[in-house]
Formats: sequence, C-alpha cells, structure tokens
Amino acid sequence: MVKIHKKKILNISLKDIILLNITGIVMIFMLYPAYWVFYGSFKKSGSLFSSESYGFTFDNYIKLFESGFSNYILNSLYICLLAVSISTFIAVITAYIFSRKKFRGKKWVMSTVLAGQMFPWIILVTPLFIMFASLGMMNSYTGMVFIYIAISMPFSIYLLLGYLQSIPKELDEAAIIDGCSTFQVLWKIIYPLMRPGIVATATYSFILCWSDYLFALAFLTKTSVKTIPLGLSQLFGEYGADWGAVMAASAVTTLPVLLLFLPIQSKIASGLTSESVKG
Amino acid sequence: MLYKKNRDERFYIIIMLAPMLVVLISFYLYPTFYNLYNSFTDLSLLGLKKGGAYIGFNNYMRLFQDKAFGRLLWNTFFWLTFVSVSLRLVLGVLLALLLNSETLKKFKLTGITRLCLLVPWATPAIVAVIAWRFMLDPREGIVNQILLSTGMVDQPVAFLSNIYTVWPVVIIIIIWNSLPLVTMSYLASLQSIPKTLYEAAEIDGANDLQKFVHITLPQLMPTTLVLSLLLVVWTFNNFVYVWLTTAAGPGTYTNVLATEVFIRGFVDFELGYSSAIGMMMAAMMALFGMFYYRFLAKKEFSEII
Repeated sequence: MVKIHKKKILNISLKDIILLNITGIVMIFMLYPAYWVFYGSFKKSGSLFSSESYGFTFDNYIKLFESGFSNYILNSLYICLLAVSISTFIAVITAYIFSRKKFRGKKWVMSTVLAGQMFPWIILVTPLFIMFASLGMMNSYTGMVFIYIAISMPFSIYLLLGYLQSIPKELDEAAIIDGCSTFQVLWKIIYPLMRPGIVATATYSFILCWSDYLFALAFLTKTSVKTIPLGLSQLFGEYGADWGAVMAASAVTTLPVLLLFLPIQSKIASGLTSESVKG
Repeated sequence: MLYKKNRDERFYIIIMLAPMLVVLISFYLYPTFYNLYNSFTDLSLLGLKKGGAYIGFNNYMRLFQDKAFGRLLWNTFFWLTFVSVSLRLVLGVLLALLLNSETLKKFKLTGITRLCLLVPWATPAIVAVIAWRFMLDPREGIVNQILLSTGMVDQPVAFLSNIYTVWPVVIIIIIWNSLPLVTMSYLASLQSIPKTLYEAAEIDGANDLQKFVHITLPQLMPTTLVLSLLLVVWTFNNFVYVWLTTAAGPGTYTNVLATEVFIRGFVDFELGYSSAIGMMMAAMMALFGMFYYRFLAKKEFSEII
C-alpha cells in the first residue's frame, strides 16, 4: 500500500524546475497576444487601456456587426469556400496522376507545380492586375476565386502527394484486375482512403485564402466585395480607430481559423516535411 | 490492343491534368512572362490602356544605380530572411525538444503546451500584427507599461519608430506567428527517430549531449533542409509582415524588396519599374533554390519528386 503511494509522488529535479519555467514563459509568449485581443474585444470601449475596473460587454461585437462587418465575412466565406472546393478537386486528381502514372515530362511538370508553393506571389500582382483590368474582373468574386485556386493549388498537391504515397499501390492494381476502370479506382478505392487527407488539405487551403491580405488589397477596392482581412485593416488604419471594434473584428477573423485548425494541425506539420520526404 | 490501351491511358492522363495545367499556365507561367515583358517597358498604372513603351534595360539599370538598393538588399537578406529564419530553426528545435521531454510528459503538460502553440499558428498574419502593435503601443501598450513600472525605461519606447527596435519587433511578430509550424515539424520528425538508436548509444555510455549531437541532430537534418528552404523562400517573398507592421517605415528604414515592388507599382504607379524589381526577386530566389538543390538537398528533394 505504502509502496503504491510512494510511486505516485513526483520526483522533481532541478532540470524539471528549469524546464517547467521555460514552458511557462513559452506559454505566456504564445498566448498573451491572443488573450489580449479576446480580452479587449469584450471590454467597454475607453477602458481598454486604462486601469479602470473591467467592464464586460458585447457592445464591440454589436457595433461591429451594425457597421456592416458581416458583409466582409460573407464575402470571405463565399470566395474561400468556392475556391477551396475547386482547388481541392484539382489537387486530388492531379496528385493521383502524379503518384500513380508514368508519363513523359512528368518530372518537369511535377517540379514546376511543387515549386509553385515557393513562388513570389508579389510578382503575380502586377500582371494579374493588368489582365483583370482588361477583362473587367477587378472587384469581382470570380477573379478572387481564380486567384485563390491558383495560390492554394501547389501546396494542396504537395500535401496530397504525401498521403497518396502512404496508400499502397497494390490496392489500385487489385482493383484494376477486378475490372475497375481508372475512374472507379480513384473514386471507389482511393477517395475513401484519402478522405482524412483531403479534409486536412481543404482546411489548410481555406485558412490560406481566409487570411490572404496581399491579393485582396490589390484587387478589391469596392467595399461591397472586400474580404475580412481588408475590412479589418480598414478599421485598424482609420484615424482614431475604435480599438474595441478592431479587437472584436480580430477575434471574429481568428476564431473560425482556430477551430478549423485544431483537428488538422498535426497532419500539416508532418505533411510538410517528414511524410513526403521519408514516404 | 496494347496500342489502343496506351492511347486511352494517355488521353486519360491529359484530361486529369488539364485543370491543373490551365491554372499553372494562366496564373503562374503567363503572368511571369508578362511581368518580364513589362519590366522592359515604362508602363504606368495611369496609362494601362495606352501600354508601355520599350525602354530596354533602363528599369534594371535604375534599380542597380538606386542608392537605396543596398539598404533594400541588406534589409531583405539579413534582417527579414537570415535573422528570422535562423532564429526560428534554432528555437524550433529547442521547443520541439522541450515538448518531447520527459519532464513535460511527467507533469502531463505536453498536450496543453501543444495546444498553446496552435493559437499563434492559427492566427492570421494581419491579426498577429494588430495584436503586437497594440501591445507595443507607446502610450497604452502593456509592454511599455511593464517597462515603465519596473523602471527599465524612463520614457515610453516607440518601438516602431525607433530604428534600434523596429527590426527586432518585426522579427518577433514573424517568430510568434510561424514558430509553431517549425516546432511541430521538428516534433513530428523527433518522434520518428527510432528509440533503438538511443538505447544503443546508452549501452555505449553516451551522455545526453553526445546523444543530441550524434543522433538527434543528424536525424533532424532532412527536416532542417526542407524547412530552411521553405522558410527562406516564404520569408524572402513575404509582403504582409513588414507592410502591416511598419509600412516600410520609419521613412524607408525597413523597406524590403517585396514592399518596394508594391510601393513602386501601386503607390508610385510605376508598373514597369516595379516589375523589374519583382523579376530581380524571382531571379535571386531561383538562383538560391538551384544552388540549394545542387549542393545541399539533392537527395532530400529527389525523394519527393
């Protein structure tokens, strides 16, 4: 009895104490800025920076939505969801071909696509701006959807390739022997096995599009089509910005991403390097 | 029969790759060549309809003769890229070791610490910048309040308009936002190191430091090589952190190539000149990528492709 009890007492060494302190500092560093935003978003305006007693309020959110912020949210949702569904679909079929088929020039096509994730997006802005201006696609949902498909596609293909490599090729071969056509193999055998990977990839693309500031800044100038990051920077950039509203807007921008991120984060991290490299 | 099957197969491959090729050509290849063409013209944002006139290498000459070019390169290569990437790699390994340590397992803190790392990772860059700018605000920010109340400074520090603090601030924001990605990648690869390696080393009488230097570090090498390439390129090309934090200021003190491209094109309306700077950026990274691939990571990357 005593023995069991003794085992439960933790043996704390100096090393433990040092490491725990470091952990504490890391946690504060990581959490404090986000905490500050959420805290500020529920604080009465005017009391954010003062040491007055803290007044809890939803006013900032109410004011934010009354000022038409929901419009930005809807724009972002519409553009990002559409772009992500299309780009994920393209990535699935492309990654499937890359991992399963042999064809001439494959190495070139693959390296070009995969290099796309390292492409300097800033140099796409000017030529696309001119193209869009001449096609009348400025300030349009269509233009933004196309751009977001383009910027999310390379990394999606890269991630999905990692997943596909972990699915044994023998499965395809067996299905083909059983008389499946190549399309059937993709939708009946590969797709169900890949679904977790597809969900993770789509989520990642969504976050990428949701957070994009650069392209939105260049191509969306009308308030009616602006996306969340632009709406946020507009609130923030105004002279004498209402900090409460900025905090509330920041919280609204971050929360969906945070919730989406929870289930997929480990897949992104391992997909980035180890799976594809060692796969 | 065999011939027909081959032809069907080829047709099928082309159909399946077509959407990707359309996107690749119309949103990457064509714009890049179009940009290259524009970089030899004096195209202006105000004269888009008229188009630009061919002026040869003038834009490039102008860039090389620009007195600010050296400053731009130093800012981009040293501050933005070198400092932030090397700090993230070192801190990333250390943090991954911490997350993987016996201590955190013993106190059941691994899960909660991982969860904390998620928060900055999931925060969009613009929100990260806003949060830090508030915290560093000279009048009301919490950092200045702490510094003042502990007597470390007499007057509030205007972090973003002081040339000694502005780069460290930008780098802290970048680290806060993207260190978790580096840490998690390292953690994933730490956890895939076979335990038997350590057991064998213990039998041979290796201490912790020796195990780290001779087992852990070499085993983390493939991850380090891939991560450093991605981080260098992503950071070098990044526009939002500098733009949103300092807008290249104070003055043009923190101007980097990416913000210069934007400022020249969309503030000064000189699209031709801006395109030339963009092409220089692309050329620098292409060169870097080629050398990197050739001398450092040929093995790692040939396994992906």
